[in-house]
Amino acid sequence: MAVFHRPGTLGEACALMAERGDAMVYGGGTAVQILEKQGVLFASDLVDISGIPGLANIEETSSGVRIGPMTTLRAVETSPLVRRVTPLAARVYGHVANPRVRNTASVGGNLAHGDYRLDPPTALLVLDATVELTSSGGTRTVPLREFFVDFQRTAVRPGEIITAVEIPRQDEAAGSWFAKLSSLSANDWPCASAAALVTGGRRFGRVARRIRLGLGAVAPTPVFTQVEVAADAGADEAVDAARQAAEPLIDPIPDVRGGVAFKRHLALVAVEEAVRLSWEERSDARGFFRDRRRRR
Amino acid sequence: MSATIEPTVNGVRRRLTVEDDDLLLDVLRQIGRTSVREGCGVGACGACTVLVSGRSVSSCLARAIRYDQAEITTADGLPEDDDVIEAFVEAGAMQCGYCIPGFVLMSHELLAENPQPSREEIADHLEGNICRCGTYPEILAAIESAARRRSQSGVPIGETT
Repeated sequence: MAVFHRPGTLGEACALMAERGDAMVYGGGTAVQILEKQGVLFASDLVDISGIPGLANIEETSSGVRIGPMTTLRAVETSPLVRRVTPLAARVYGHVANPRVRNTASVGGNLAHGDYRLDPPTALLVLDATVELTSSGGTRTVPLREFFVDFQRTAVRPGEIITAVEIPRQDEAAGSWFAKLSSLSANDWPCASAAALVTGGRRFGRVARRIRLGLGAVAPTPVFTQVEVAADAGADEAVDAARQAAEPLIDPIPDVRGGVAFKRHLALVAVEEAVRLSWEERSDARGFFRDRRRRR
Repeated sequence: MSATIEPTVNGVRRRLTVEDDDLLLDVLRQIGRTSVREGCGVGACGACTVLVSGRSVSSCLARAIRYDQAEITTADGLPEDDDVIEAFVEAGAMQCGYCIPGFVLMSHELLAENPQPSREEIADHLEGNICRCGTYPEILAAIESAARRRSQSGVPIGETT
């Protein structure tokens, strides 16, 4: 069984992470406890960072928001600041697991878990968030778009701790949506998920709108793409362009939630739902999926 | 390694010796709080729900050592005349009852945050609670009834914990 440490400062935590053979950060603990129960936790030491002051704050910065790694997912979801500055992030954090797990699970732990089916990365990819990593050697910042490097592998190096996630302010005029499709229970891992953000448009004197897409559960890592569409295009054209952009990235892992063909199909359904609703939110002409909207 | 923690459980301060990896679920059951139950063991079913400073926690995924000085409420620590429990009883919102303590505590958290929830908001808040007897319609009715009665009687929000 892994040795459990409870450092009181970030310096002590970094020292433990550097000294111990196969140390893992223990944040909210919800994922680690499940891995331990399943007998697939391979760590010599667990470094609990909940006793370190100042790691659970949400602050407004000149460019957006800065969220501490021990902030709970529910605190992000319900934060008036996050809802105002980056509403897509607040909405997507509100879709993880269930409210009780969100009360404990942490922002840093969620990303470090590195699972390809996580909800938050879909939004953080389209919003161009960055992750701050701290070790005894110093601090560096990694764009979220470079964070997920392979199946259940992240850019976090041995000895590093996630110390913040920074999310740029969301364009107020942007349309956004998150679609999460589950083939088992509603709060199971998704079979496919998609976050979309539609920016630009004639209001800014531009001729094109940009659709940014973050996809979850459809490939070995969360994936990102973007495509430009004429500002006067209809929703159907926007959806077609997004589906074409997304298609090469879809590389599903077959499991109990569906085979490759089924997941490939659902991934494109998620893209369609997210893009259509973002596009229509952008043009204030909601309708098609309106009844399926989940209020959060 | 073992350590001593001093949580307050249902208003009573406790001094407990726990191992690093003891789950809050097991520690609470060992001191007789058997309304806290294990169901799925992975945070998905809600049978092990407790409130910590009014916020729901899956005690099956919580290491007890992190709950030193915590204010913990379990369903059996609620008062005899608890309004949510009364509403559940009146609505017949239970069959075997195994899951009900978790539903009652989740309902308290919901009503403290949102005194007049819509049916959709109730369902969203309880999405991580499973009743294998399928008494969901009665549970929804019970929570709506508790919310209605609180708004009529003017009970201050969050008074119960």
